[in-house]
Amino acid sequence: MTTYTICIFTENTFGLLNKITIIFTRRRINIESLTVSETERKGVSRYTITIKHDKREEVEKLVRQIRKVVEVLAVFGYLDDEIVYNEIALFKVATPIGGKPIDIETINKVYKAWVVYWGLDYVVIEKAGSENEILDFFRYIKSYGILEFVKSGRVAVGKTPTGLVEYLPEEANWEYYV
Amino acid sequence: MENLTMIAQQTEAIEEMAQQNESSSLLPTQAPRILSGAQALMESLIAEGTEVIFGYPGGAIMPTYDALFDYTDRLDHILVRHEQGAGHAAQGYARTSGKPGVCLVTSGPGGTNLVTPIADAIIDCTPLVCIIGQVKSTLLGTDAFQETDIIGVTTPVCKWNYQITNADEVPAIIAKAFYIAKSGKPGPVVIDFTRDAQVSLMSKSYEYKKVETLTSYKPRVIPKDEHLEKAAQLINNAKKPYILFGQGVLISGAEEELKAFAEKTDIPCASTLLGLSAMPINHPNYVGWLGMHGNYGPNVLTTQADVIIAIGMRFDDRVTGDATKYIRQAKVIHIEIDPAEIDKIIKADAPVVGDVKEALKRLLPLVKPNNHTAWRNEFKKYDIIEDQKITQRELTADGQIKMAEVVNMLSEKTKGEACVIADVGQHQMIAARYYKFKNPRSYIASGGLGTMGFAIPAAFGAKKGAPEREVVAFIGDGCFQMTIQELGTIAQSGLPVKLIILNNNYLGMVRQWQQLFFEKRYSFVELQNPDFVTIAKGFGIAGHTCSERDNLSESLDRLLQSDKPYLLEVMVEKEENVFPMVPAGAAVADIRLD
Repeated sequence: MTTYTICIFTENTFGLLNKITIIFTRRRINIESLTVSETERKGVSRYTITIKHDKREEVEKLVRQIRKVVEVLAVFGYLDDEIVYNEIALFKVATPIGGKPIDIETINKVYKAWVVYWGLDYVVIEKAGSENEILDFFRYIKSYGILEFVKSGRVAVGKTPTGLVEYLPEEANWEYYV
Repeated sequence: MENLTMIAQQTEAIEEMAQQNESSSLLPTQAPRILSGAQALMESLIAEGTEVIFGYPGGAIMPTYDALFDYTDRLDHILVRHEQGAGHAAQGYARTSGKPGVCLVTSGPGGTNLVTPIADAIIDCTPLVCIIGQVKSTLLGTDAFQETDIIGVTTPVCKWNYQITNADEVPAIIAKAFYIAKSGKPGPVVIDFTRDAQVSLMSKSYEYKKVETLTSYKPRVIPKDEHLEKAAQLINNAKKPYILFGQGVLISGAEEELKAFAEKTDIPCASTLLGLSAMPINHPNYVGWLGMHGNYGPNVLTTQADVIIAIGMRFDDRVTGDATKYIRQAKVIHIEIDPAEIDKIIKADAPVVGDVKEALKRLLPLVKPNNHTAWRNEFKKYDIIEDQKITQRELTADGQIKMAEVVNMLSEKTKGEACVIADVGQHQMIAARYYKFKNPRSYIASGGLGTMGFAIPAAFGAKKGAPEREVVAFIGDGCFQMTIQELGTIAQSGLPVKLIILNNNYLGMVRQWQQLFFEKRYSFVELQNPDFVTIAKGFGIAGHTCSERDNLSESLDRLLQSDKPYLLEVMVEKEENVFPMVPAGAAVADIRLD
């Protein structure tokens, strides 16, 4: 199975998330992660969706089906080596009085993670990185007692010299079919 | 049942609206036109050239029906008996007229009853604008009376949908709806219209501007030159080129372009089910139709072509059979407006994305005149076999009347000029096999979805879209009972459609499959039918039954001569099978003749 990252630019309208996700579910393609945010262009949303699939051509078909949604402005499908990507995780770790103290230096220097909130008997640590880096940190911090763990979906930018919004409809070189 | 307080509130709101609106009800042209959302809808429909609405009123759409009451001089409305009928009628209308069909129904069950036609229209690329009432926006999500999340329900089956919650949105959204429905690959759009948006007045003067382009949706109409050149090169070097065309030819109005292209290149042409009638049957380049019950030669010879030119078709599984074995030896040119269809089923060596008419117009000067008589004659060899093994047998006057005889005789009597509506099943295939189409837009059936019950409503919709044409529907006894209530619509509207029931007292196609693939285990396919003619009479529609071959000709004459709607029930052979047949999942080369 190969991981694909699909970046979708859409108009920011009601109910669009549903219109996008049913294209995956109808084809029994599981969404591994999904992130939606506004882009640098107003009124334009950006979806970053990761999926695992073993057939590239099926992913290409999926991309074309997503393009058919009226509000979709552009769709790009990427392999991992074509993008720079990250996720962010928050760990709520127990620090009870008399318990094992957390090692800030290791957390900062080895794991590039930061304490972002100090509670009375817990801390919240933020770790950004790839899935594997977050998993490594998860394994390290587990012994301290994780009270809560939450991870975002992937966000990604393409390794192209131009920004993807350059490809949005006003541009002459953006096409409905390439 | 609607709650009384609600009715009282509604009445108040309507009265209030009427009072506020008294001065503007005649729509002065200079003063700002402050309309209610419902009135704005009416004006917008007229601005889009809507002639007829197929609909059914109910609670949440009542303000719109109230507005419609003042527009009956400019907007015809056909009151159906069930919302499914409104949808299929609008499909029939769209398929004969080429214009979007408009449906108007209420919230909740009104909307959900329309889902089947919407699903049918998306798969058969039929432009529909479906306006569905919705509860007040303040009640959304409260499980209010007749509240259904129709946007959620229709999203997977429509081309686009939108919920209007503010009267100001109406003109722009309706303009967008029509543009989306009819452009690119046409399809159904759904407008969920909340009651408060219908009732409330616009905050600005009504103005209508047609939508001609959208930022996020730009179907490619003009194909790329390099794609056309590559396609032309393949065609010019082909030894056995073969055109497979579909409904795209009819949708883009490219019948003449197709003929000119086929004549110049001398390439044989076969049609898909929905492409039927895009080329006259007697055209020398026309070889027949494709698919599960299509003609012998056209199916089998796909295995010999070296270049396939697929025009406005999408390689449905009923056309390809086992797609992994379909046209593997051939180079494929795929002319199609929807880029998602390219490589979806069959990999295209030369995709041409664009409108069929524009593509063929631009391809014509690029292709060389050619002569493929020998190749075209190969189809004739297969025709002879098919004629001997199937056609002659089915048209032999022996035993009970056969469906084929009825269609064949009607074809002769109408000189191939009628608009044929077919429901779903054996009779649909037989109608496609035996009717000798002369004019475009003459075969209207539910292809992709196979919706039983399509024909009665589609027939009067088709008649509405082409009043000058003779509209004849072939309907099975099973299908007839799925939308039988629409006889009431036909009677009330007086549309002179001709209905022919081909009655074998079976769900014939399922029975055929049970016979061939389920060891004749006839599981729930035999019907105890009502007296159809008496039922029709009860609705005020004349009709009679024909069970003897000797009466068939005269029966069809009576049907055709009637200037009113008419029902002819023909009792046909009970266990007739439709051949040729490509068994489901088999390769087209494995087509069976018996």
